[in-house]
Amino acid sequence: MDGLQLLLNGFAAALTLNNLVFALTGCVLGTLIGVLPGLGPAAGTAILIPLTFKLDATAAIIMLAAIYYGAMYGGTITSVLINVPGEAASVVTCLDGYQMARQGRGGAALGIAAIGSFIGGVFATLMLTVLALPLAKLALSFGPPEFFALMLLGICLVTGLAGRSLLAALAMTVFGLLLAMIGIDPVRGAPRFTYGIPELLDGVGFIPVVMGMFGVAEILITAESTRHTVIDTRLAAMLPSRAEWKRSAGAIGRGTLIGFFLGLIPGVGAIIPTFMAYIAEKRLSKHPEAFGNGAIEGVAAPESANNSYANASMVPLLVLGVPSSPTIAVLMGAFIINGLTPGPLLFAERPDLVWTVIASFFVGNVMLLILNLPLVGVWASILRLPTSYLCAGTLVFCIVGAYSLKGSTFDIAVMLVFGLIGYVLRKLDFPLAPTVLALILGPFMEKSLRTSLEMSGGDFSILFTRPISATFIAISATVLIVSTLRLATVRAMKQAETL
Amino acid sequence: MKTLLAALTLTTAGLSYAAEFPTRPINLMVAYPAGGSTDVGARILAAIAEKTLGQSVVVVNKGGAGGQVGWTELSRQKPDGYNIGFINLPGFNTVILDPERKAIFNADSFTPIINQVLDPGAIWVKADSPYKNVKDLIEAAKKTPNKISTVTTGVLSDDHLAILMVEEAHPGALFRIVHLEGGAHQMTQILGGHVEVAFDNVGSIVKQVRAGQVRGLVVLDTQRSKFLPDVPTTPELGMPNVISNSTRGIAGPKGMPAAVVKRLQEGFAKAMADPEHVKKLEDSGLAIRVMAGAEYDKYYRDMHARAAKYTEWARKRPHK
Repeated sequence: MDGLQLLLNGFAAALTLNNLVFALTGCVLGTLIGVLPGLGPAAGTAILIPLTFKLDATAAIIMLAAIYYGAMYGGTITSVLINVPGEAASVVTCLDGYQMARQGRGGAALGIAAIGSFIGGVFATLMLTVLALPLAKLALSFGPPEFFALMLLGICLVTGLAGRSLLAALAMTVFGLLLAMIGIDPVRGAPRFTYGIPELLDGVGFIPVVMGMFGVAEILITAESTRHTVIDTRLAAMLPSRAEWKRSAGAIGRGTLIGFFLGLIPGVGAIIPTFMAYIAEKRLSKHPEAFGNGAIEGVAAPESANNSYANASMVPLLVLGVPSSPTIAVLMGAFIINGLTPGPLLFAERPDLVWTVIASFFVGNVMLLILNLPLVGVWASILRLPTSYLCAGTLVFCIVGAYSLKGSTFDIAVMLVFGLIGYVLRKLDFPLAPTVLALILGPFMEKSLRTSLEMSGGDFSILFTRPISATFIAISATVLIVSTLRLATVRAMKQAETL
Repeated sequence: MKTLLAALTLTTAGLSYAAEFPTRPINLMVAYPAGGSTDVGARILAAIAEKTLGQSVVVVNKGGAGGQVGWTELSRQKPDGYNIGFINLPGFNTVILDPERKAIFNADSFTPIINQVLDPGAIWVKADSPYKNVKDLIEAAKKTPNKISTVTTGVLSDDHLAILMVEEAHPGALFRIVHLEGGAHQMTQILGGHVEVAFDNVGSIVKQVRAGQVRGLVVLDTQRSKFLPDVPTTPELGMPNVISNSTRGIAGPKGMPAAVVKRLQEGFAKAMADPEHVKKLEDSGLAIRVMAGAEYDKYYRDMHARAAKYTEWARKRPHK
C-alpha cells in the first residue's frame, strides 16, 4: 500500500466521532495554552499528559499532538492583542502583529496568521505523508553510531543556536547531560548519583523538569509583570483585504518552505524558523521599512513557518524516534508511556496508529482554522482575566499534573525546584532549551555510544568510518565553530560601536 | 491459659479472615509502565479475575529501574493478599543477584502464587543472513570468536544468560555481546543489518517471522512454540540444557496466610482458563503456562539457582 492509501485508511479512523472529539479537545486546550501567556507547548503538553492516561494510544497521541499545534496557533493571539508572545515561537509575530492591531487591523493580522498556519501545517503534513515511508526505509540504515552522531548534531545545533553566549549555552547543555546521568546506568545497571534515594534510581523525571522550567518559571515571571491592555478586535475585520492577501501569498509560501525544512533537522527549535522566515521577507521586500510598523508579511511568514515547522518536526520523531525539541520529546514520552517506540518499525507494526495520527493532523488544522477565525473574541476575553487568577490556576494544574505522572510527591518537588532554577536562569538570560533537550537526549546518546563501542569491541573509529555518522560529526563540529566565530564577530562589532 | 486463648482467637480470626477473603479490592502491581506486554497481560487477567474472585482487581503500575522500584514496594507490603504483583523471572532474579543493584529484597522476601505466561527464548537472524541454522552459527562463533555481534535485551536479561548457556554447551564458541534495551530496538538493528544475531523471546518476533523478514533458528524450550511450529527446539538439536525463557507470575510479600494464597490461586487459575483470557493473550503472542502451588514454588527456586550460576558467569566472562 502506498502512502495515500494508508492515509485514506487513517482518515477513516481519524474521522470517527471518538477521535474527532479528542482532536477537538486537544485543539481547544492547545489554543488555550497558547493564549495563556507564559505557558508554551512544552509545559502544556507535559501538564496535560496525565489527562491521556486513560485513553487508548491512538486517542492519547491525537490529543497531545493537537495540543501541540493548537498551542502554536494560539500563541499568535496574545502576540497580536497584547504584544506578549503566548509561546516562544510567536515572538516575531509581536513585531508587526501588535502594530497592525494598534492600527485597527488586528483582525486581519489574526486572520492571515490563522490562514498561513493552516497552509503551513497542511503542506508539512502532506510532505510527511509522501516522505514517511521512503524515509522510514532509509532510517533502517541508522545503527547506534549513526544515532549517536545525529543526536550529537541535535545537541550541537541547540547549543550553537541558543542565544547570545555560546559559553552559557554550552554550560546549560552540560548541565542537562549531567542531570541525565542521574539514575541507573542504562547499560550495566549500576546506580549513579542516587545517594541512596530510591526515587532517584529512575533519574530526574524529564516531564517534571519541563513543567518546572517552562511552566512554573514562566508563571513566576508572568506574576512579576504588569498587566497589558487588550486591544479590541471586531469579527468583521477578520478577513484580510485584497491588497493584504496579495502581499501575504508569497510570504506564506516561503515561510512554509523554511519551516518545513528546518523542521526536519533535530535541535533547531521552534524559534529559529520564525526568525528566518521574517528576515527572508524583510530582505525580499520592496518596502523593508514597513517591517516593524505593521507589515502583514511580517505576520504571515513567521506564522506559516511556525506551523509548518511544528508539523514537519513530527518527521524525525516518527521516522527515526529522535525528538527535535522539548515539546516533541514530551510527545515521544506519550508514545513510550503507551508502549510504543517511535521509529521506522512503528510504520510497519502500527500503521493503523501512525496513519490515523497523521490524518488527524489534517483534521486538527481544519479545526484550528475554524476555531480561530470566529472565536478570537472568546480567546481575547480570557486575556482580560486578572493575571493573579491565571497564575494560581496554572500552578495548581502543574502540581496536580506532576503528582499524577507516577503518583509521587517526589515529582512535585522536582518540578518546584526546577521552577526556581528555571526562574533564576531566565533572569540571568541563560537559555533553557539546551538543558531540556540534553536531559532527554542524554540517556539515548549514552546508550547508543556505548552500544557502538560494544559493537566495535571498544574501538572509537566506528564513529568516523561509517559515512552517515562521520558526516553528522563533521557538521556538528562545523556548527560549533561557526557559532563561535559568529558570536565573536558580534562581540567585536559591539565593542567597536562602544569605542 | 491466656496465651492459649490468644492463640485460639488468632487462629479463628485467621480462619474466618481467609474464609471471607477477599472483602475489598485487590491491588495487582505491575513493575513496568502501562502498555508493556506484562501490563497488557495483567489487565486482561484482572478484568476476568474480578468475576472469579468476587472483588475488583486494580492494576497498579509502579515502573522503574527494570522492575526494581515496583518489587521493592511489593516486598514491603502487608502480607494480607490485598497487595500482590507480577514478578518477571529471571529479570527479577538478576536484580537480586547483581550486587551493584543493591536490592533490599531477596528471593525469600516473596510468596510465589501463580504463573501466567512463559515466553520461551529464541535465537533469530535477518531473513537474508548467511546463518541458515544453529549449526552454521555455532561453527562461525568457534571459527571467529568474539566477532559475531549478538544482541540481548539488556545486561543480565534472560537473553544475556541464554547466550552464556549456548557458549557453555559449545566450548570455544564466543559471541560479541551487544546489549540493547528491548525488542523494538533489536528488530530495527537486525533489519538494518547493524548486528548479526539476536537472542530474544518468541513473543517479540512472531509477526516478523510470519512476514518473512526474520528467521527463527531455534526456540530455547522443551516443546515447540505454537506460534513458530516450524522452528526446532534446543533439545531437538542436542542442547538439552540450553533452556531459557521469561515468565510472568503473581507473587505477594512473604508470610501470606496459606488459605489466602489458596483462594488467590483458585481465583486466578479459573480466570486464566477462561477462553477470553486464552484468546486475548494468544492474540498478543503470549504463551500461557499456568503453574501454581508446589510447581510454581519449585520453578521459582530452580530459576533463582540457574540465574545465580549464569549471573556469576557473566560477571567473570573476560569479554563483558
